[in-house]
Amino acid sequence: MGLLTGKRVFSIMALCMMVGLLLLPIVVALPSPAIGEEAPAGDAVKKDGDKVEKGRDVYYKTEGIVVGAPAPKTTDGPKDYPRYNFESRVLLWFANQQHLYYGSFVLAVPIFCMIIEFMGVVTKDKALAKRYDQLAYDFIKISLTAYSLTAILGGILIFTFLTLYPAFFGYLSSIFRPVMHIYALMFVAESGTLYIYYYGWDKMKEGFLKWIHLSMSVILNIIGTLLMFLANSWIGFMMSPAGVDEQGRYLGNIWHVIHTALWNPLNLHRILGNMAFGGGVVAAYAAYKFLAAKTDEDRAHYDWMGYIAMALGVSFLIPLPFAGYWLMREVYAYRQQMGITLMGGLLAWLFIIQATMIGILFLSTNYYLWQAMGRMRGAEKYQRYIKYLVFLLVCGFLVFITPHTMVMSPAELKAMGGQQHPVLGNFGVMSAKNGGINVIITTTVLSFVWYMRGNKVSTVSWAKFGNIFMGVFFACAYVNIIWLAIYGYYIPANVRVGLSVPQVATTLSCLFFMFALNSVMMRGAKQMGPIEWGKISVRSQYALIMLATAFTWMMALMGYIRSSVRLFWHVNEIMRDNSPWAYTHTVGFAANMISFNVLFFWISILFVFWMGSLAAKKVPVEAKAGIPGNVPQPAASH
Amino acid sequence: MGNLIAETLSMSWMALAILAGLFVYFQVSISDPVAKKRATFKTFIGIVGTFLLFMAIANYKNNFYGENRLLPVSLVVITVTTFVMALYFTNISAMLKVGGFMFFVAAFLSGYGNWLPQVEGGFPPKEEKLDFSSMTSQQLADEGEKIIFGGIGKNKEQGAIGKGQCPLCHAFHAGMLGERAPNLLGLPERSDKERLTDPKYSKGNPSKREYEQKEAFPGSGTAENALEYIAESHACPSCYVVAGYGVKGTNDKQSPMPAIHKPPISLSLQELAAVDTWFYVREGRDSPSFEEIVKSYEKFIPEADRPKMAEDKPAGATSLMADGSEPVDQIFAKAQCVSCHTIPGIPGAMGTIGPKLEEGTTAPQRIKDPTYKGTAKSSAEYIMESIVDPSAFVVKPFPDNTMPKVFGQKLSAGALKKIVDYLSQVKAGAPPPKIS
Repeated sequence: MGLLTGKRVFSIMALCMMVGLLLLPIVVALPSPAIGEEAPAGDAVKKDGDKVEKGRDVYYKTEGIVVGAPAPKTTDGPKDYPRYNFESRVLLWFANQQHLYYGSFVLAVPIFCMIIEFMGVVTKDKALAKRYDQLAYDFIKISLTAYSLTAILGGILIFTFLTLYPAFFGYLSSIFRPVMHIYALMFVAESGTLYIYYYGWDKMKEGFLKWIHLSMSVILNIIGTLLMFLANSWIGFMMSPAGVDEQGRYLGNIWHVIHTALWNPLNLHRILGNMAFGGGVVAAYAAYKFLAAKTDEDRAHYDWMGYIAMALGVSFLIPLPFAGYWLMREVYAYRQQMGITLMGGLLAWLFIIQATMIGILFLSTNYYLWQAMGRMRGAEKYQRYIKYLVFLLVCGFLVFITPHTMVMSPAELKAMGGQQHPVLGNFGVMSAKNGGINVIITTTVLSFVWYMRGNKVSTVSWAKFGNIFMGVFFACAYVNIIWLAIYGYYIPANVRVGLSVPQVATTLSCLFFMFALNSVMMRGAKQMGPIEWGKISVRSQYALIMLATAFTWMMALMGYIRSSVRLFWHVNEIMRDNSPWAYTHTVGFAANMISFNVLFFWISILFVFWMGSLAAKKVPVEAKAGIPGNVPQPAASH
Repeated sequence: MGNLIAETLSMSWMALAILAGLFVYFQVSISDPVAKKRATFKTFIGIVGTFLLFMAIANYKNNFYGENRLLPVSLVVITVTTFVMALYFTNISAMLKVGGFMFFVAAFLSGYGNWLPQVEGGFPPKEEKLDFSSMTSQQLADEGEKIIFGGIGKNKEQGAIGKGQCPLCHAFHAGMLGERAPNLLGLPERSDKERLTDPKYSKGNPSKREYEQKEAFPGSGTAENALEYIAESHACPSCYVVAGYGVKGTNDKQSPMPAIHKPPISLSLQELAAVDTWFYVREGRDSPSFEEIVKSYEKFIPEADRPKMAEDKPAGATSLMADGSEPVDQIFAKAQCVSCHTIPGIPGAMGTIGPKLEEGTTAPQRIKDPTYKGTAKSSAEYIMESIVDPSAFVVKPFPDNTMPKVFGQKLSAGALKKIVDYLSQVKAGAPPPKIS
């Protein structure tokens, strides 16, 4: 009893400590903005004769007292752009991308842990609960090693900025001074919370203490998310500055500087992106372990782990295009030219690559699910329909990647006979593309639904009606999406853009209603047989690796697009880039650089995984009876 | 290929030497023939794999900045290498296969990126100082075309874009639909006939406007003519929005177009004058003078908001004979016209090498002359043509190629306009016009 009370006291103290750590940066930082606000007034009082200078916010259009220096006008030379005998921008690109990869990973994994730990806590099946708990623990162990690498890479990034772009970084830090301090303190809070969370795992594994432990993961993720929001603020500022006047002088309102036009869309997009990325990395880890497994138990465990990671990753991948759509909409609202440079100008080919990659991601996901049905007895009934799904996916994909207008040379223009291709140019309009991607997502939802009911037969009295309803619902969804895609050809472009709303609404309806209805129908369903974990084809694991690699590649691609849309501005329209590298690279160079970054990341993360495997191994949770499909089965022919 | 192999060897000799050493060691130390054969074969595969790996790295290194679209071949080579090695190194085969597959995916995507048309952003426009005020109309129009499209003669190239970024949204030629902004063909004429007469424009009464902005700045008023309308639409796009081209959801009350004199585009008034001149010149219209255009912008852009021309580069030597600020008699004198021509009303203009300049009378006759092959339709155009292209029509009995052909470059637009204005008023038998 005494021991239990002691643990409870310890847990509550740990929780209080975390809350304290969470509040620490806010408390410490409170005076910072205040000083920022008061500073000009103080100056005004100090010098009686001096006139207080006011400036107009470039974005909010409000007036404020100028408290900062103008953005420096840089010149190409060692003062503003000191360099090695190498392109500084490429060095920075590399440092930034690696830091981002690791940062995303260590922010995503604790969210996974939270979800999986929660699933473990609420699952009534104790064996399965323990399995979930073990998985969450494995995840956080991996992230712990990656965490220190993230910090190291962050340091490298800062040093790269300071040594290669001192004028720019000086200006940025002069504006974000309080934010950067809060960021640093948040990092301390994140580290402290993570260590308490990790090392307290065994001490708080049951009952009330487990709930305390779970709430710690919530705090950990709140801190992590706030950290990311703060980092996003300076990225948002570089793209769509606010809180400064036309000369780049800070006007004393730190919230304006943080809350720029693109901050919120970036926040949402990055949270979802990080989660999908994290899922991909863990799925690839599981796939690697699966391929290297020597025993059926290991194969079963890593098959299951890969599935969970993939499912979590994909559940965040599905809303990602919608978040991207919102971000792009805000970009257009902020500066139309910026949007056009992205979607119809200099960077348009990169979006063609992006469209291809989105197609690859969804095709890989579907392929994995179809393969995964092979380990379920009873799922054979769906196999014969898969060819129709392939047809839908391929059609959707082809429509989605077809460009409407292209950036061309005069010779190409002449050869093609116009701005649009005589045949393909008719297909690539926005509503049709939206139709394409929505067909792809809806088909993925359908694959998931089939997977979830693969080895089950609904026993509810209204099962027949439910099945018919679901079939009709999906059919109507396809008809609506495709009809709107075609209808778009008959209406003006500005009206056509609005068709995306009903198309997306249809897809989301499928996503939520069909999942919900399927879950209700499958409650207490009759099982045709267990899920034979580990009895999945090797090809499926390559689909997971493809998913992970493609996602890593796409993340780098989108980061490059987002960054290069500023063209020759360090801070858009405020601070000009006068370095010798203020031009946009070719698509090919960017692709090579992205590949380099992706491969470097994977080589280094393999090292992290290896490090993780060196740590004392926990006794693997043995397969328990009662968990559908977790009874170890002999390996298949592979 | 030879270079690539040499580079590969120079990079990989240490690794290859170690493997070769291992090869020898296994030959000596292993006695079991089966084990020896296996070790020999694995070492051989290792040597081949290492060589291929370094060859891929060397290829990557050599072509990092190049235009070589076979760069992803490096990644494919690595993929092949890892898969081959995975066959023989079974204890790490999973890692090799996973790594190899990742290289393959990266190779595919990299290859895809290299296969697509290569568009490079190019360097940002240089902030160089040009003396627009001393340019001829054609020069000014050329500069305008550069600002809009990035180069002279590029206005018909799809995707051509200059500092002004106009083609991002506007179309400029007949039959091209501007979905985001109006087609600017015929702008000077349309401004006068359609825009200024549109009740929504509310000419002369900005307070009745229903747009986001009533005036460019308090007291600026509205445009009174086409020139001012163009200036106003550049300086204050939301003062009047052409129906159907407003920001979505604002019911055409707000324009998506940025103020062109402000960042990110930040064209100076001089540059805007060049752009406007191009609008006129490209349609074969008489362009307003540089000063008139600048003045129209000054009406809508207050002093404090006027971007300055970049001053980080020395101004180019203008070497102009006259910049247009002088009275017309001085322009004639500076350009040495008086040495060859008799010009009524101009002191000292008694030259006889060229014809007497009574263009108010002679220009219409010469345009009607059957031997006239020029393009002028009016007296003013004929005079301008005679100055910038003297061989277009040579008055008999004067010889061709006597008059220099450099006046188009040596006289500013303002100076040329003054000459044209003066000469078109000089009529035979009539008193000379007043010098201004």
